[in-house]
Amino acid sequence: MIGVIYKREILDHLKSAKFLIGFGLTIAITVVATIINVQDYGRRRQDYANAERDLPRNKFEIQIFRPPEVLSVLVQGKDRSLGNKASVNYLNIPDRLTGYMSERSTPRPKSLSGFGSVDFAFLVRVILSLLVIFLAYDAVAEEKQSGTLKLALANALPRSSLLIGKASAGLTVVLGSLVAASAVSVLIMMVHPAVDLSGADAARILSLVAVSALYLTVFYMLSLLVSTVVKRPATALMVLLQLWIFLVVVYPNVGVSIAENFYKLPTDREMAEKKVAAFALYGDELKKVQAAYFGGDRTQATGMRYLELQSLRSRLWNDVDRELSLRLSGQLERARWISILSPAALFNRVAERYARTDIEEYDRFLASVERYWKTKYMDFQVLFYKDLPAYRKASTPPFEHPTEGMSEAWAAAAPQIVVLVLLALIFFAAASTAFLRKDVR
Amino acid sequence: MRAIVFREIRDHIQSLQFVALLLFSIALFSANGIIFARKFQAENAAYSAAAAQFAPNTQYIFLTRQPNPLLFLAEGGDLDRPASYYMMAKGYFSASAPRPRDYKLPDIPKLDWSFIVKTVFSLYVVLLGYAAVCGEKEQGTLRLVLSNPVGRVRFLAAKYAAILAAALIPLAVGCVISLGILGVSLPQILTWGLASRVASLLALSAAYLSLFAFLSLLVSSVMRRSSLALLCLLAAWVLFAVLIPDTSGILAEKFAKVQSDYDAAKSVGPMIEKEVWAKIGALQPRIDKGELKTAEAIKAEADKAFEEGQEKVRFFEKSYEDSLAQRAALARSLARISPVALFQYAAEDLAGSGTHREEAFREDLRAYSREFDAYVLKKNGKLVGQSNWSFSTSVKLAGKDIEIRSPQAEAYRGDMSDFPRLVERAPRLGDGVKSAAGDIAGLLLWNIVLALAAFATFLKTDVR
Repeated sequence: MIGVIYKREILDHLKSAKFLIGFGLTIAITVVATIINVQDYGRRRQDYANAERDLPRNKFEIQIFRPPEVLSVLVQGKDRSLGNKASVNYLNIPDRLTGYMSERSTPRPKSLSGFGSVDFAFLVRVILSLLVIFLAYDAVAEEKQSGTLKLALANALPRSSLLIGKASAGLTVVLGSLVAASAVSVLIMMVHPAVDLSGADAARILSLVAVSALYLTVFYMLSLLVSTVVKRPATALMVLLQLWIFLVVVYPNVGVSIAENFYKLPTDREMAEKKVAAFALYGDELKKVQAAYFGGDRTQATGMRYLELQSLRSRLWNDVDRELSLRLSGQLERARWISILSPAALFNRVAERYARTDIEEYDRFLASVERYWKTKYMDFQVLFYKDLPAYRKASTPPFEHPTEGMSEAWAAAAPQIVVLVLLALIFFAAASTAFLRKDVR
Repeated sequence: MRAIVFREIRDHIQSLQFVALLLFSIALFSANGIIFARKFQAENAAYSAAAAQFAPNTQYIFLTRQPNPLLFLAEGGDLDRPASYYMMAKGYFSASAPRPRDYKLPDIPKLDWSFIVKTVFSLYVVLLGYAAVCGEKEQGTLRLVLSNPVGRVRFLAAKYAAILAAALIPLAVGCVISLGILGVSLPQILTWGLASRVASLLALSAAYLSLFAFLSLLVSSVMRRSSLALLCLLAAWVLFAVLIPDTSGILAEKFAKVQSDYDAAKSVGPMIEKEVWAKIGALQPRIDKGELKTAEAIKAEADKAFEEGQEKVRFFEKSYEDSLAQRAALARSLARISPVALFQYAAEDLAGSGTHREEAFREDLRAYSREFDAYVLKKNGKLVGQSNWSFSTSVKLAGKDIEIRSPQAEAYRGDMSDFPRLVERAPRLGDGVKSAAGDIAGLLLWNIVLALAAFATFLKTDVR
């Protein structure tokens, strides 16, 4: 019996004007957004390759470039906004990446909408979640209003079978649209010469589609619940749109806004004072050694002490910068905790994690830069004072940034996945209970 | 007609959409008042502290921007721009600290009036108006109403007035709450100047929401089913509020005929090589030939080479900044296809924020830079131009290393009580209206076109 209902519901959905309009819109936005984003990625990738090859560098100041993430085509996250260059020298351990021109980040016109970038993640979070609402709001309420619900249940049809049939058919249509949009995006990526997808990227894309499916399931179950509880389909649609506005537009921004405005961060002045205080003990000695060194005392002992003091100052300043970085991470965690029940915020976080375009990936890259500075770079600079000919002959030590494995990404995203699963189950259980008790007359 | 308007307003007020809009309006405008009052207090405290600690210096000067108390109307990216700059001779500026400081947080819009109106209120106008015609047609009430002596034009005009009124009531409530909170926290900002800006922004908001009301009536007249009308309207809203504005930035990067970040960086190295190191490299052969015989003569030649090099670097960096501004202007022009962008830019002009305010501030900086240069020249007798590059190397004269480095500005040690201070011109509403005129005209044009389309369509609609 479930099979018959499933088939009938799917046919009804596929023939409906709202599905055709919604699906057409989904595919159109997918094509336009993917083409724009893949070309943008291609330019950034080319700039990165050119920078690695062409930009001048020297042994004292080593330029490290961060390649753009290939999956930023699907989930832009922070990938294109936080810079792509770290200049490593013994005077400073970089605490932020900069643009190629060394400004702090490449300036771009700010988004007007507040929905972030138009990419695959946006499509799922905003467009497909709206489509889900339009496909599911009348699942029960419409049949009740038109009187077909009591006719259907007058046959030997258990209520649970009817609900499962409707839910599985609706979900099939929704997830089918998701798979179609994903396939279109991946196809466009694959035909673009700048994109080279590896096996690991394929696993990440599949994970991304899976979490998208879970997110849409949450909205489907919520829509089913409202359609069951509310009597009129028009009212169900209005209730669902209010919930959508709250869950997708308002709530995710509330957490960020509270954290932005009510989480205390040290001021620029306090940071500067902390840095001065951190090195106060050695300030006079550095001035003396510097004066001696530039005054002509080029002995190894003076050179080494000069380097040691500069290096110590960089490390102490880096400690102050790291303290701020930890405070900023704390601020972000505060925002995330407040938005813990927002499916849109949870989805976004997991999607950025799988695409490696989240702030954690940025922090991991900066940690690699710091590790490089503290080990390979400083060992190399010591050679300048100890063995100048060897320094001149040697090439600069290579920078390495280990890629985060998929299993680590899955583990990191597990709590958000669990909350999304729980939300879907709670909404489905509530919808089932409400439907089993519903007065169908 | 009045009876229809009142009936419609009463129906809207009893609807879920209106209640939700009223609640959102109260919550969002309250948050607006609290957040911007706190922000202004913090910015103002930092500005006052910087002003109190102002230290005249002929090498460089630390300048802090005066905070704008009107950002609660339209923030316009102001809070993401540097709050302070270092300024050196010959008009060289450098931001003292990057913004935003809390870069780890997701980018979200600032909760100013313009955001609340352009996003939340426009969406609710669509929700209030989508069923205006097709909803009545579905229920069969449309032909009943029109069987009475009520003209179609009057009927649609009444619907339009009711939708707009149902949106403007929560807007007015929200604005009063926001102004109340700001007035308690910052009584100094409650002036007639603010009242005229608020009135202008409300008029602009009404014009903006009006076009969404006309759009809703148009789509509602075209479609037979209200759920389909709503779907189409939401698609249009996503297009105007999200797709066009968000893709305009990326498209501008593609189409702008300006150097990219990478291309600019690529040209710096060869330029410095040509302008600085080639000239410095020519010193040693001249020393060897005996043309330069003393350390002083060498340093004078090096200073000249460095000065010329710095001049080129400054000019190049200025050109790069100008190209970024051109690209941003192109993105704004592309975004203007959407009425949401027209509203946003007009709101920024009326609030005295946004790019026009930034340009005005830079003009003030340039004027101050000329005063600063004249002062330094008077006190030190010379001007030394610098950039964020500094150069040093050594040459050999008679077997001895001579250190040469790019010249630094001198610190004047005498009386500097007459040191010039930066004076920022306060933004004037008249200038704002003038800057916003094009965008306002665009919004009015959208209104006229959509109104004509809505009325023409409704007059031909089969009401059965």
